[in-house]
Amino acid sequence: MNKKKENLFGYIFISPWIIGFLALTLGPLLFSLYGSFTNYNVVSRMDFVGFDNYQELFTNDNLFWVSLYNTFYFVIFSVPLTTILAILISTMMNQDIPGMRIFRTIYYLPAILSGVGVYLLWMQLLDPSTGLINQFLALFGINGPNWLFDPDWAKPSLIFMKLWSAGGAMLLYLAAMQGIPKTFYEAARIDGATNVQMFFKITLPMVSPIIFFDVITSTIGSFQIFQEAYVMSADNAGAPENSLLFFNLYMWIRAFNLFDMGYAMAMSWILFIIVLLLTLVNFKLSKRWVHYEGD
Amino acid sequence: MRKVFFLIFLSTIILGACGGFSLGDGDTSSGGTGDPEDGTAQEETIVLDFWTFWGSEQRRPVIDQIIEDFNTSQDEIEVRHTYTPWGDIWTKNLAAIAAGDPPDVIINDIMTVKLRAEEGQIEPITEFVQDEVSGRFYDQMMDAAIHEDEIYALPFNTDTQILFYNKDLFEEVGLDPEQPPETWEELDEYAAQLDIEEEGTYERIGFYPLIGAGTDIWVLNALGENYLQDDGEVLIDTEPVHETFNWILDSQDKYGQNRITSVNSQFENAQQDPFMSGDVPMMVQNANYYVQLRDFAEDLNFGVAPLPERVPGNGNTSWGGGFVAEVPMGASNPEASYQFIEYLTSHEAQLYWAEQNFDLVAHEEAGVSAAGSGEFDDSGQEVYTQMIENMDETLLTPQPVIAPDYAGTVNPIFESIVSGNTDVESGLEQAQSELEQLVEDNR
Amino acid sequence: MYNTRKMKFWKSFNLILLIIGSIFMIAPLFWMVSISLKSLEEIYRGGFNFIPEDIQFSNYAAVFEIVPFFTYFVNTSMITIFVVLGNVFVNAFIAYGFAKIQFKGREVLFIVVLSTMMLPGFITLIPQYVIFANLGLVNTYYPLVLPAFLGSAFNIFLLRQFFKGVPNSMIEAAKMEGANHFYIFFKIALPMVKPALFTVAIFSFNGVWNDFLGPLLYLNDESLYTLQLGLQVFKEQSSTQWHYLMAGSLMVLFPVIVLFFLFQKYFISGSNILGQTEEK
Repeated sequence: MNKKKENLFGYIFISPWIIGFLALTLGPLLFSLYGSFTNYNVVSRMDFVGFDNYQELFTNDNLFWVSLYNTFYFVIFSVPLTTILAILISTMMNQDIPGMRIFRTIYYLPAILSGVGVYLLWMQLLDPSTGLINQFLALFGINGPNWLFDPDWAKPSLIFMKLWSAGGAMLLYLAAMQGIPKTFYEAARIDGATNVQMFFKITLPMVSPIIFFDVITSTIGSFQIFQEAYVMSADNAGAPENSLLFFNLYMWIRAFNLFDMGYAMAMSWILFIIVLLLTLVNFKLSKRWVHYEGD
Repeated sequence: MRKVFFLIFLSTIILGACGGFSLGDGDTSSGGTGDPEDGTAQEETIVLDFWTFWGSEQRRPVIDQIIEDFNTSQDEIEVRHTYTPWGDIWTKNLAAIAAGDPPDVIINDIMTVKLRAEEGQIEPITEFVQDEVSGRFYDQMMDAAIHEDEIYALPFNTDTQILFYNKDLFEEVGLDPEQPPETWEELDEYAAQLDIEEEGTYERIGFYPLIGAGTDIWVLNALGENYLQDDGEVLIDTEPVHETFNWILDSQDKYGQNRITSVNSQFENAQQDPFMSGDVPMMVQNANYYVQLRDFAEDLNFGVAPLPERVPGNGNTSWGGGFVAEVPMGASNPEASYQFIEYLTSHEAQLYWAEQNFDLVAHEEAGVSAAGSGEFDDSGQEVYTQMIENMDETLLTPQPVIAPDYAGTVNPIFESIVSGNTDVESGLEQAQSELEQLVEDNR
Repeated sequence: MYNTRKMKFWKSFNLILLIIGSIFMIAPLFWMVSISLKSLEEIYRGGFNFIPEDIQFSNYAAVFEIVPFFTYFVNTSMITIFVVLGNVFVNAFIAYGFAKIQFKGREVLFIVVLSTMMLPGFITLIPQYVIFANLGLVNTYYPLVLPAFLGSAFNIFLLRQFFKGVPNSMIEAAKMEGANHFYIFFKIALPMVKPALFTVAIFSFNGVWNDFLGPLLYLNDESLYTLQLGLQVFKEQSSTQWHYLMAGSLMVLFPVIVLFFLFQKYFISGSNILGQTEEK
């Protein structure tokens, strides 16, 4: 009886999502799955071709592997670095220092600054000779790299830009840290704990659900990096030397420049499987380190 | 909580007053019939939706004027203009075609007409186009709008690459400012005279082929034709292309890769214009670049010339692009759409566009009239005339249906040769075989 | 007792670090301001001057002349109000269900929720457009606003993490007293995750305020356009009007900055609620 009621309440609470999923998401999802087995071109063609697209991708498409490599490179560096940086910034922000509201606003600014205008701005900042960054490095006698014009530095440039906007996640951590009862720290302090100890023993476990959230969502997001690369690579197609050809950029080119939508859909499902597996692994691992206060 | 309810209450009120939430006017795109703006129901007017990416303070008034002229010139069709952001306009168009509710006329990229025609995104307009109309345009532009004997679009405007050079600096080093270089060899000689070297770095770069232009333009210039032929033949691993890359690399060796990158990136990021500042006295650029010189470098004394040729007699082949007006697949009244397209590409409209925007128009005679237009000053007339003359040797490189993604295969290899990561011999060999393979696969 | 001198040292060390960091964070913004005050002529001439030779406040006025800024501002605000309201309340509702109600199939459904984030948006973009077109909703705000009332995976996940922090013991106690989940949700759980609600509000405000693709696809009438679409007129095929683009971007940004600055006090008050409940 009680169990039934619990079920009913559960479905009532998640019903908006179910409606949205059935009405707006499921159809396009299944459509793209089917489309990945066709030569769909959006307008005039959708013939079933079996596993042709997948076979072509795995056996005969060099750019597919290049884009996969680039994307993994980006995810592996940007996700941990931005997460760690965000936690550090938030820890520093979570205290009573005069002008904290202004500091928080400043650190959050980069996250608000989004869109094409900002990427164009960053292209200026990263300019090898007149850019602010290399000018700054020159003050210390460092000869800055050619950033976006050097295939070896193009991806680090984007990671660097991502780090700059790590303050966005600060909001999450702050919200979580504000929820940690002050009494915890006071008690620890009486026991003679140091700041560092308190950070590892209290702060980190208490915000672990949010770290978990941040890692999962930024992994998903980083795998889908697109607009930055589209705007910031000189030919909008991954230059120099395909170093910025990320998975989604290549998919975009296939879908909207060459109208190989079926092929792009196959690519999207490969990415889907990769990200889904990673997320499931993350969920399994999370039982070991994520600590839910309420449970 | 009370505040929240107040907010909801407030927004419901605004909601009623806001057009975005009223369902009635949801369907403005039609091409079917509708009342004219003033609402007087005299005769049924055909309303056409026209999408362009011309929203700037420069271009918008010009296209709006052309539309107004068309609307007042007759009373059956009323064209409504919608500005849609550059580049993204075509994504939106594709979605609208897929949903069966596209605009009636759109401005699109001339390079992809054949490909999009092949994919069924454009309504053919062959039946409406008379010879008199299709003969208006530069041949290479009209060719780009035709796919398998059907006409899919009419060309609107184009551009072409020319050599810009700084006359004052020519004079300063003892070169004749009225004698621009005519061959690659002369380019190098002039460059050597114009160079200023201080302690191993070049303060002034006499000439470097890849400032302003890309490798593909020089390859085209050297070959006199595209490296991928319509029939699928690939001309990359050939003598002229080898020579092109060796020439570029020699020049790069002289100036040093870092110096080049720094100038080039400034140019791309619009941080600084090295031609305007005199750091680069010769440069190949899109002829439209004149507008920037006119507006932002009043004192600069410059000249223009055709692209120098690889060896005497090889030809001054240049490269161009441009835009067309077309009817997206599924538009409800292609005939009416065509009427407007014909007006857009008429002598009158094209001349007006050319004069107001300093844009090279597709209508050959309108271009000639514009070259002598009183709207331009002397140097404007000179540049415009050069653009028109250049069209004789300007090639368009429409994406071939046989290998639409050829550039994506070849460009990274070209980049790698220029950056020194691959040598010319093996790079070109690789590009040749990969492109041949691509063509083979697509057959 | 805790060493207060050491604490003082840490505090000032922190402060210095924060100030240095701020410089990095804010430098690009200053650069933006600098460009927005230059003439296009000066931008092309180049050189590295932070302070423009001839300060052009008129750039800001020009943006207003070229773009119907006020109309777009109202339009964008309209969409934003609804999306933020929808996002905050509907997602909280859904998230509570996933966090605190043991119903059948919960774990699997939650993975499905997450998986909707994993397929690149532009793959489903055209089919989704076709759905809205068939509903006759193209060229209205509904395609932009409606999804906010039907849950978004990111926000559901985020709020679920916070709801999980609500002690089960409290929920059980309330149930004992005969409260159902609606009551618990509104009276107990929701107030406890207030900081998270504001986080969602700020995130979704930021997202919808800067959204480009949605308005691009679904709005055909220029009178319905949003600020982000309006800004695009400064970017054409071959040239960018940097000064206007930056001036416009800054004006679009301004409300977001102000809002964030003001919203922060709710972070503080949110913490108190949990603190109080603990003390009781």
